[in-house]
Amino acid sequence: MHGIRDFMANDHRACDRLLATVEQSVVKGAWELAEADFGRFRDALLSHFGAEESVLFPLFEECTGMRLGPTQVMRDEHAQMRQLLTAAEAALAENDADEYDGNSETLLIMIQQHNIKEENVLYPMCDQRLAAQLETLLPRLQELIVDHERAPR
Amino acid sequence: MQALLSFDQSPPFAAPLRFFLTAPLFAILASLLLLWSGPELFASRWTPAALALTHLITVGFLLQVMLGAMLQILPVVAGANVPWPLAIARLVHLAVGLGALLLAAAFLGNQPLAFRLAAALIGSGVAVFVLAAGHSLLGVSSADSTIRGLKAALIGLSVTVTLGMLLATALDGSFELPLMQVTSIHLGWGLGGWSAVLLAAVAFIVVPMFQMTPAYPEWFARRFAWTMLALLSLWSAADIADWQEPAALLASAAVLMVAAFAGLTLQLQRRSKRARVDATQRYWSMAMLCTLAACAVWLAASAFPAIAERHEWPLLCGVLALNGGLMSATSGMLYKIVPFLVWSHLQNLGRGRVLAPNMNKVIAGKAIDRQMYAHFVALALLLAATLWPGWFVYPAGLALLASNACLLRNVLRAVWFYRGQRLKIEALTPRPATSS
Repeated sequence: MHGIRDFMANDHRACDRLLATVEQSVVKGAWELAEADFGRFRDALLSHFGAEESVLFPLFEECTGMRLGPTQVMRDEHAQMRQLLTAAEAALAENDADEYDGNSETLLIMIQQHNIKEENVLYPMCDQRLAAQLETLLPRLQELIVDHERAPR
Repeated sequence: MQALLSFDQSPPFAAPLRFFLTAPLFAILASLLLLWSGPELFASRWTPAALALTHLITVGFLLQVMLGAMLQILPVVAGANVPWPLAIARLVHLAVGLGALLLAAAFLGNQPLAFRLAAALIGSGVAVFVLAAGHSLLGVSSADSTIRGLKAALIGLSVTVTLGMLLATALDGSFELPLMQVTSIHLGWGLGGWSAVLLAAVAFIVVPMFQMTPAYPEWFARRFAWTMLALLSLWSAADIADWQEPAALLASAAVLMVAAFAGLTLQLQRRSKRARVDATQRYWSMAMLCTLAACAVWLAASAFPAIAERHEWPLLCGVLALNGGLMSATSGMLYKIVPFLVWSHLQNLGRGRVLAPNMNKVIAGKAIDRQMYAHFVALALLLAATLWPGWFVYPAGLALLASNACLLRNVLRAVWFYRGQRLKIEALTPRPATSS
């Protein structure tokens, strides 16, 4: 069973696509559109973090007894990504393409190396250790992670 | 489980950085050798200077960058931490670096003692690395294509270096070895079993995630690494047994696998969602184009005796694969790895209170682009030099020197930037920062 891994990894890819649309708008110089696109990306990313921090991680910590282990590292990385989100958003508001590029590139690499750790290590562990709770856990995650790609631009 | 608990422990910056800093120095030495020996170097792939140059690039540049990158990648991709990363890095770096220098000197001076010392140094350095990395991967599931590829690449590296050591000790005639055959198997494993398998393992993650392309087809990614090792093992056995036809077929199959990987990567890159194409993406595209061209030259030489008879084709194939394929891909990766590590270590030093400048500020984009174009010019001139050495060897040597001096300067810029920012952070935060 890869229920958690598949669902959460799919959401990672959805966030990636939203970030790519911001870059396309920035390159065209369509700043208003870029800000709207960035808003959708930010909401998608934050709801992903929220679902992990409020539901998935606490359950993992409870079941494994590991409170200062991998989930703590993931929370720390979420905090770093939130800072980069704020910096990128500020650059967009000032229509500063170079500053936006630098922050969004750093954010992209940070996100991807974080995703690799989750998809290769943490989610497979969740699928293994939380298999008994999957039936209730998955709907809760689905409820918290809405499809931001379908939201109107 | 053990792996999972420790995947936050990124190695100290000094561990991978030492490899990245000295790699360009070996390429600079290679360019000086080219300028010193002149057109004679390209008389055949067997000239002492050509062999010395090849190993300055393969052991001095490529192996160093790949080992440094692998130290950094293992914890992220597999949750696998190499034990005592800084001590291991120091030891491996010293042994492989000195070994590369001695090996080049051994080829140039035909010194049996230098060959033996170089073999001992490179062999022990790589053995320490493979044991440490292998230990960290113990118990890590191979379900993921990248993890499987990293494990297979370590086997490929071990075979390559073992055969290299065997060759280095047999060159003085102290024991009988079919030198030509073992050389071709050593080369096949170095290019196919280590480099192509490692590059593909990294590509399966890096290309889709960082260049925002669709994923590689699952059936291809899952099978690539072990199919390559299986083909190379069968080919080596057939070649040693002198079964010429099966050996030729198996070698062609391995080359076609590498060509398929390169073609697939180019096709995926065309579907990238990134609106901006940066130097790393261009470097990857060039690497894949050159890999395809190297495969085409190899296949043409194996199919048409008229091409196989010419002494230029192995040189052309070698420049395409090493300078065009592997040096391009590793340089492109350096421009993501080094600035990200600078940012990440500064961010950790600032503990969220002092924000690190974003990674594009670490090395200026224009400096990266300039270096990339210098590398492409050097590549074009080197390719021309394999065909018309009299005309092109000196311009090629100068261009190789310039592009690698720029690469060294760019990596140094990143280190200076890191040091400057670290001082600022230390001045702003009460506790002294200790990570380096």
